[in-house]
Amino acid sequence: MAAIQPMEQFMIHKIVDLPPVVIPGLGSIDMSITNNVMFMLIAAAIITVFFLTTARGALVPGRGQALAETLYGLVDKGLVGAMIGHGRGKPFLPFIFTLFSMIAVMNIIGLAPTSFTVTSQLSVTVALALMTFLIVVIVGFTRNGLGFFKLFVPGGVSILMACFLAPIEFISFMVRPVTLAMRLFGNMIGGHVVMYMFASFVIGLGAFALHGGLASLGFLGSALSLAMVIALYALEFIVAFLQAFVFAALTCTYLNDVVNLDHGH
Amino acid sequence: MADPATVAGAAAEQGSGGLPQFDLSWWPGQMAWMLIIFGVMFVLFAKVFVPKVGGTIDGREGQIAGDIAEARRLKDEAEAQAAAAAAETAEARARAQRLGADAKAKAQAEAAARQATEEAKLNEKLAAAEASLAAARDKAMGNVAGIASDTAQAIIEKLTGVAADAAEVKAALPA
Repeated sequence: MAAIQPMEQFMIHKIVDLPPVVIPGLGSIDMSITNNVMFMLIAAAIITVFFLTTARGALVPGRGQALAETLYGLVDKGLVGAMIGHGRGKPFLPFIFTLFSMIAVMNIIGLAPTSFTVTSQLSVTVALALMTFLIVVIVGFTRNGLGFFKLFVPGGVSILMACFLAPIEFISFMVRPVTLAMRLFGNMIGGHVVMYMFASFVIGLGAFALHGGLASLGFLGSALSLAMVIALYALEFIVAFLQAFVFAALTCTYLNDVVNLDHGH
Repeated sequence: MADPATVAGAAAEQGSGGLPQFDLSWWPGQMAWMLIIFGVMFVLFAKVFVPKVGGTIDGREGQIAGDIAEARRLKDEAEAQAAAAAAETAEARARAQRLGADAKAKAQAEAAARQATEEAKLNEKLAAAEASLAAARDKAMGNVAGIASDTAQAIIEKLTGVAADAAEVKAALPA
């Protein structure tokens, strides 16, 4: 019986060796295709094939097109339209749609047995979170100029209070990429580790029960663990979708802060 | 796994039981790949998927709105036509009634006129007939007096043998 290694599923290994790319000032970056990169590519391929086959522009949509249009409506009306505004949010629709689709598909294909969960890699979630953070900052400065710093001063408070609140607002702003990255990473790794542990109980307790006698009670534990694995597996599908939605929704909220800085807030 | 640093890192991770995600040697490559793939997908979404799906949805909404507007227009048109037809029918009925009334009045007037002329003609004939009758009677009556005087003269001559004076006879006769 193999040892219980819940973290083994997160190990990165190379599949295709590629020469490292040297970037001046940053050093060399190992661009080899790893199992992690392969599943990123699989996710991208699934999305591309899905939209190319479903976006046929039929007046009466088929099943696939209806799904694509439902997802579009969810991101367009539910996220971008509701949180940033239909007019001002429109330019960000492709970005939010890409973010949502990529994270959702990477989360969901990670649930297939023997696959690899890209979003359980902290490096990946940090990359996505930093990219989002930088986009928010860049949009903030291009839209508002130095007025961007009004973001840290809540409206309608006295100067004394503002001096006190501005550092807190600033810290909460700077912490955003960390929370974005940690939330997705934690949800993914947590679900997968718990599922692995319960699945290992199914085998471990079952094997223990084979000793006979009182140890036969192990079958009960084994069956319960199996039920838990099934329940958790269903839950993980919800989590996979929900975390993608949460990431996209928070990105919309952050963009809303800087896009609609002049009114409201 | 040729890189000795990677092997050492992986071994250290497994030895300590820590999270493999914290092995920073993998980070630059994985982050770079994620950003590159995300960038490619973003371009695909921005240039292909979003315009295609959004265009389809907008087109459908436009088509539905257009169809509804067209249906409403046709309904209005049909209602207008129905109203026009009803007005035309009413007008035609009024005209028919007026025509009928006119014809009736004309016929009545004609009949009355014809009756009046016929009556006048008949009255005229009647008057003429009466006049001729009266004339005939007068003539007859005149003849009666002549015959009476002639007869009286003849009787007197026969009885007396003297020719009677015509004027005396006439005077003796009752008028």
